[in-house]
Amino acid sequence: MNRRSLTAAAGALALAVMLAGCYESPDARFFEAGEYRGAEDPLLTMLEDPEFREQLNRRFDGQRDR
Amino acid sequence: MARMKFLCDADRCIECNGCVTACKNANEVPWGLNRRRVITLNDGQPGEKSISVACMHCTDAPCAAVCPTDCFYTTVDGIVLHDKDLCIGCGYCFFACPFGVPQFPQQRAFGSRGRMDKCTFCAGGPKEPGSAEEFEQYGANRIAAGKLPVCAETCATKALLAGDGDLIGEIFKERAMSRDERPHTWGWGKAYGESL
Repeated sequence: MNRRSLTAAAGALALAVMLAGCYESPDARFFEAGEYRGAEDPLLTMLEDPEFREQLNRRFDGQRDR
Repeated sequence: MARMKFLCDADRCIECNGCVTACKNANEVPWGLNRRRVITLNDGQPGEKSISVACMHCTDAPCAAVCPTDCFYTTVDGIVLHDKDLCIGCGYCFFACPFGVPQFPQQRAFGSRGRMDKCTFCAGGPKEPGSAEEFEQYGANRIAAGKLPVCAETCATKALLAGDGDLIGEIFKERAMSRDERPHTWGWGKAYGESL
């Protein structure tokens, strides 16, 4: 293989690498603005339990003056 | 459904900073951060008034409205919480909050703000309640344990009330009615001057 074909092959390889860098994935994720995206908080489920709520309310009611 | 709120009775607050200390201790809040602070009006003058201020857990929270990563969420009780794993420390919430509540640790290199920290109403964050991981990131989760926020439970004069807005409003009303005169902090005298 002569020098010219080697240069052409290297150039083609460099061009392929450069073009690969321009690739943009079409699989982008879109979110609605204002919508919480974080992890779920187990406390939210606990707060829906009426017994737990009753316990909390009793505690809150203890703030009254004696 | 309840709406969790704080209410500070300015006629009872003695500026002891017990709430601030209890909060920092119970949640192991890092140096330089304060989730709660006591503000004194007319400090050193007769008739000075103090109130303890932390996150107001706004119904339509401006911090949540401006967050570019949408890391805020609100519990069914109206407690405004956030996911620190999503926070990028942009500081928008600090500029949006009318009470200056969001705090940034600034403990990283190159002046990075770090992830935002604020009062959680002692309700932790989106981690397993009571876990070490939750405590490290968000502090204590006293609500999951059926307790009040530590600042309110520590308050020696019961000036700081926490809980369902209807209930603490009722407690405050009972107090105000039993006083021999109305509170002077926010009233007609304040609005129209002493000549009233």
